[in-house]
This record gives sequence, structure tokens and C-alpha cells, in this order.
Amino acid sequence: MPTPLRSRGFIAAALLPALIVFILFAIVPILWSVYYGFFQWKGMGQPKFIGFGNYSAMLQDPVFWRALKNNLILVVSAIAGQIPIALVGALLLTANGWFNRLIRSALFMPMVLSTVVIGMIWGYIYNSQFGLLNEALSLLGLESWTRAWLSDPKINMYAVSIPINWSNIGPYLIIFIAALQNISSEIHDAAAIDGASGWRKLRSVTLPMVWSTVVVTLVLCIAGSLKAFDHVIVMTGGGPAKSTELLATYMYNNTFAVYRYGYGSAVSTMIIVISLLLIALNLLVTRRKNG
Amino acid sequence: MRNISKLGIAAVTAMTLLTACSGGTNNEASSKNGEGADAGKKTKLTVWHNFAGDDARAKTVRAKIEEFAASHPDVELDAQAIPPDGYRQRLSTVAAADEMPDVFLSYSGSHIKGFQESGLVQPINELLDSKQEWKDNFLPGAFDGSTIDGSTYLAPLAMSATSFLYYNADLFKQNNVAVPKTWDELMAAVAAFNKAGITPIALGNKAPWVAQSTILGSLADRVTGTEWFKKAVAQDGASFADPQFVEALGYFKQLVDANAFAKDANTIDNTQAEQYFVQGKAAMMVSGAWTLTNLAATSEDELKKIDITVLPSVPGGKGEANTITGGAGAGFALSKKAEGDKKQAALDFIYAVSGPETQKAIAESNSMIMYKTEVDQSKVTSLYYKAFELVKTIGITPVYDAYLSAEAAEAINNGLQELMMGGKPETVAQNLQDAQARSLNP
Repeated sequence: MPTPLRSRGFIAAALLPALIVFILFAIVPILWSVYYGFFQWKGMGQPKFIGFGNYSAMLQDPVFWRALKNNLILVVSAIAGQIPIALVGALLLTANGWFNRLIRSALFMPMVLSTVVIGMIWGYIYNSQFGLLNEALSLLGLESWTRAWLSDPKINMYAVSIPINWSNIGPYLIIFIAALQNISSEIHDAAAIDGASGWRKLRSVTLPMVWSTVVVTLVLCIAGSLKAFDHVIVMTGGGPAKSTELLATYMYNNTFAVYRYGYGSAVSTMIIVISLLLIALNLLVTRRKNG
Repeated sequence: MRNISKLGIAAVTAMTLLTACSGGTNNEASSKNGEGADAGKKTKLTVWHNFAGDDARAKTVRAKIEEFAASHPDVELDAQAIPPDGYRQRLSTVAAADEMPDVFLSYSGSHIKGFQESGLVQPINELLDSKQEWKDNFLPGAFDGSTIDGSTYLAPLAMSATSFLYYNADLFKQNNVAVPKTWDELMAAVAAFNKAGITPIALGNKAPWVAQSTILGSLADRVTGTEWFKKAVAQDGASFADPQFVEALGYFKQLVDANAFAKDANTIDNTQAEQYFVQGKAAMMVSGAWTLTNLAATSEDELKKIDITVLPSVPGGKGEANTITGGAGAGFALSKKAEGDKKQAALDFIYAVSGPETQKAIAESNSMIMYKTEVDQSKVTSLYYKAFELVKTIGITPVYDAYLSAEAAEAINNGLQELMMGGKPETVAQNLQDAQARSLNP
């Protein structure tokens, strides 16, 4: 009895510094932010208490809804893009040959680049006058397909989502490869004895074995897409005319460009609420699948 | 989750951190101040500015600051150069915590007014009155944007001339186009350059203030006149939804519809647009005095092709035609909390870095100033000299975002981007009107 107790005390003591730092720099600011969300405040002078005024203003602001819609576009594109591509990549690249390793590194590469660099590279690719994409299309004789990718409000959100997905495939690929390598060889042997191979084996053996990993990556995808900020701020800054505004850029612009500190705080509180809701929904859906 | 919340509260975290930092320095400073009477004690002076870059002007001002530190051994100077992009944010963050530096760079217009309303600054009239000759040599209107109820809060170090019409004289000659003096001539030039496959006007409006600050302000003033604008800003007898402002936006829309700007003008930045222009890919560029400073690094051969004038007149406009938008720019302001020795040191500092010598040095680093001085033509670029001479012959009208509330400025900035994407002038005008009305009567 004394030993586990003592070690439990030791664990608690060892965790304490990290816990204090976390509470001080993550939890306390969240609470402050929630608190300021109830004020009308320019960042200086006396804050004025307005209750839920910021929240009702937010719900009536079409830009907020557009930002939310854009974030949901990112969530959908991440779930439909990042996870399947990473999974297929992992299935094809589990073996350890030099070619596989090369492709694996190539897929992981964007993860290592700074997001600002990625934003600038894709900004140049999408440039309508000398961008790589339009040049390539004209070379193929597809001039009619060329356009101002980041300016046209009908397509720029999709254009922006491609580099975000591209740069996020790497970590999921690694997670899936690890999961696939964790399937013990006995199971593969058993499948072989039962005569399962190819497609059948993939569907009935491999995928069910990594399904729990897929569920985890779903949560990561949702969280990652809701906090998206840096690629967009570099490529478009949320514009033109708010057409690529995300919740995070909306919060940033309101706080630091328009000096509505109280409103910005309310938006960041809203982001927390929305991500909690989405993650709860995700847990609900996946629990049903497990059952 | 943790990441999202981290992001969500980034603002507040930054605030907490900054509060902690500046809290430290300020407490220390005020305790020092308390002991200021003791002989031999150094007066501690904190200064924030944004002359952090590598351009000639920033270097000039930094050199003057160092000179001040060297010649005032009794002052312990803590001068922080903060990159311009984040400068206003940092300043408003410490303002939120009521921990302002003793002397800081602020901007004439709504910026300094915000600090004044929050009781964070004190006037510098005392200094201005003690140096009468210096005060008298400022250009007319130099203190308009920083004088509130008869008290002046900063002495400008810069002129923010925002709407010169730069044009590539070679391209105009090659394509047989006349430099536009009227709106019709401008539209004819746009058509001619489009036909020749040259972008008529280079515009980099990714940071959406550019079109507003460089083009709309000057254009709208020609249509509406300055009186109307000031009334509309005060929401006193004029509204931004008035037909004359809709008409002004209509002129901007005409330019858009005539393909005067490149298709991706909203996704390239101002520097990229300057590059297009200086490389001869665009025939004109409407831009501010900052372009003079930026282009100073270009070879004199390329600069020679470039000439400078004002935007053309518009038919039946109520405003003066021979004008640019501009006014006093940034200058050093004095924190309310500076008293006694500290205040004296602060005023000395302000004079040292805004006085006649510094003004001349800044002008000779290819930057516009609000101060009467002669520049040595051999020290500046030919283009700067043209601009310097041009400014002596034209009138100055207000820059929109220096007068509008931050929220209204954002509304018109985004509105212009909307216009460029097919929006309607009426809607944009109404949105601007709503935003300005809301910020005056919250």
C-alpha cells in the first residue's frame, strides 16, 4: 500500500509545475476571454457591460455565418480529403523499400515547411498573371479554365482548402502506417489460410483492425480544421470582401483590426462552443458505429 | 481542443504576457521617478516607435534616438523599435492594461484621438510654445489631426500623402496616350492600355485599405467636396448613403468595369503592385508617399521613366481637383503618467527626434514631411524631388481612414473589394453609413 500511494504523491508533485503553467496560460485566459465577451470594449478605456449583446450581434452578422460555413467547408474537405488519401497512401506504402520511403518523405514534406512558406508558395501557384496553375492550364490548351483562383469568391474557398489539406496529410499518413504495422502477422496468416486476399482482405480484415485509429484521426481533423488560420491569413487575409473569412480570422480581424476586444473575446468563446459541439457529435456518431 | 482554445484566446494570452512585462518596467519606472529628486539618480524613459526597418527613414530616426541617448547621460533611455505590422496591436494591448510607455509613436487622426478620449496622453503645447520657430515652420494643417479641444498631442514626423498618380512616361509615349487630366481622358487611357496588353493601373489591395486610402479618398473628395465628408464623418447633416457618395463609388466601379485593375488586384499586396509598375507591366499606379521610399532602392534609370501627378478631375465635382489626400502622419505622443523629471526628459526627447534637424534628415531619406525645409537635391532620388516639388503646388484633402472610426474604415475597405467583385455602390455606401453611425452612437 505505501509504495503506490507514495508514487501517486510523487506523480502528483511531478505534474504540478506543468499543471500550474497550463492553468495559468491556458485555462485562466479562456476564463478571462469568456468574461470580456460580455463587455463592449475598445481595448482601452472603461469596458461597458452588455450581457449577451456581443453574442446576439454575432448571430446577426452575415460575416460570422459565412466564416462558420467556410470552416465547415474545411472540415468536410479535410474528412473527405486528408483521411482517405492518407489511408490509401499508408496501404500502398507500408513496405520499406527505397521507393516507398522516398514517396513517404515526399508526402510528409509539407508538414515540415512553415505554414507561412506554404501559403506564399501556393499564393504564387494560384497567381492569375504568372501563376504555375494558370500557366500549366494554358500549356494544355485549357485557357478557358484559367482564372483568378484566390479572387473569385465562387471558388476561392475551395482553392484555399487544397493547400491546407495537402500540408496536413503527412501526420495522418504516419499514424495510419503505424496502425497498419501494428496488425499482428498471425491475423494476416489466418486470413491467408481462410483464402482471403486483395480487396476482400482489405475490407474484412485490415480496415476493421485500423478503424479505431480512423476515429481518432476524425477528431484531429475536425479540431485542426476549426483552428485553421495561418494558411488563410497568408494567402488571402480572409478576403477579398470576407469571402475566405474563417472563425479564427474573423476573431483576429475584429480584435486587432477593428479594436472590438469584447466582441473578439465573444467570438473566441463561440469557437470553443462550436468545436465542443462538433466533437460531441463526432463521439456520438462513432459510438453508434462501435455499438 | 486544447489547440483550438489556445488559438481562441491567443489575444488574451498575449495581453496577459504583455501586461506582465510592461507592468514590470512601469512600476520600476515610477519608483525611479519617485526618487527623482535625489541627485545623481538617472531618469528612466521608455519609448516605443516603429522605425524598426532597414529603410533610410527608419535608420535616420534610429540614429537621432541614439544621438539623444548619448548626449543625455542623465536619462536611462529604453527605446523599443517594434515592426510596423504589429505596432498598433502592441500599443493597443498595453493601452488595454493601462501600461503605456512614456513616449510613443502615434498617428494623427482617430488613433491619437482614441488615446486622448481614454485619458492616456497629455498635450505637448508646452514644448511647442517654448520653441516658437520650430512650431511655426510646420505646414498649415500639420496639427489638425492631433489637436483636440485646443490642445495638441503630437508633432508630426511625416506627411501621409496617400494618392499620387505615378505613371510610366515611356509607356504613355510609346502608346501615344495623353497623361489624363480629366475623367474621360483617364478612361481613354485605360482603354488604350488594355488594348496594348498593358495593365492600366497597378493595384495591390490584398490588405484592403489600399484602394480606399489611395484611390477612393481622393476620387470621392473631388465628387463630394471636403465639407460634405467632414459632415458625414460627424453624422451631422450628411450621410454616406447620400447620392453624391454613391456617385463617387460609381466612379471607382467604372474603373473596375473598364478592367483598369488586374484581375487579382485583391490578392496581391502593395509591394508586388509596385514591382509590376516599376517593371513596366502597368502604366499607372495610384499610391502614397511610401512608394517613393520603397522605390528609392530601384535604379535611377528605371526611376527616370516614372513621373508623378494628381488624379484627374471629375465632371461636375464639388471638390477641388488639384489635390491629393494626405495630412499629418505619425509623431511622438506623451503618456499622461509622465511627470516631473521624466516629463522634462520626455519633452527633450520629442524635440530631439522631431526638431528641425531630424525633419530635414527625414526629408533627405526620401520621405515626405509636414515641415518647411529645403532638401539637397543630390541626396534624394529624382522621383522624390518631383513629388516634393509637386506637393508645394497642390491642396491636401482628408484621408478617409484617418477620420472614419475603425469599424467604418473596415466597412469601406471591404466594400471596395466587394465592388471589385461585382457589388453595388448603394449597398457599400449603406454599409459604411451603418458602421459609422453605429460607432458614434453605440
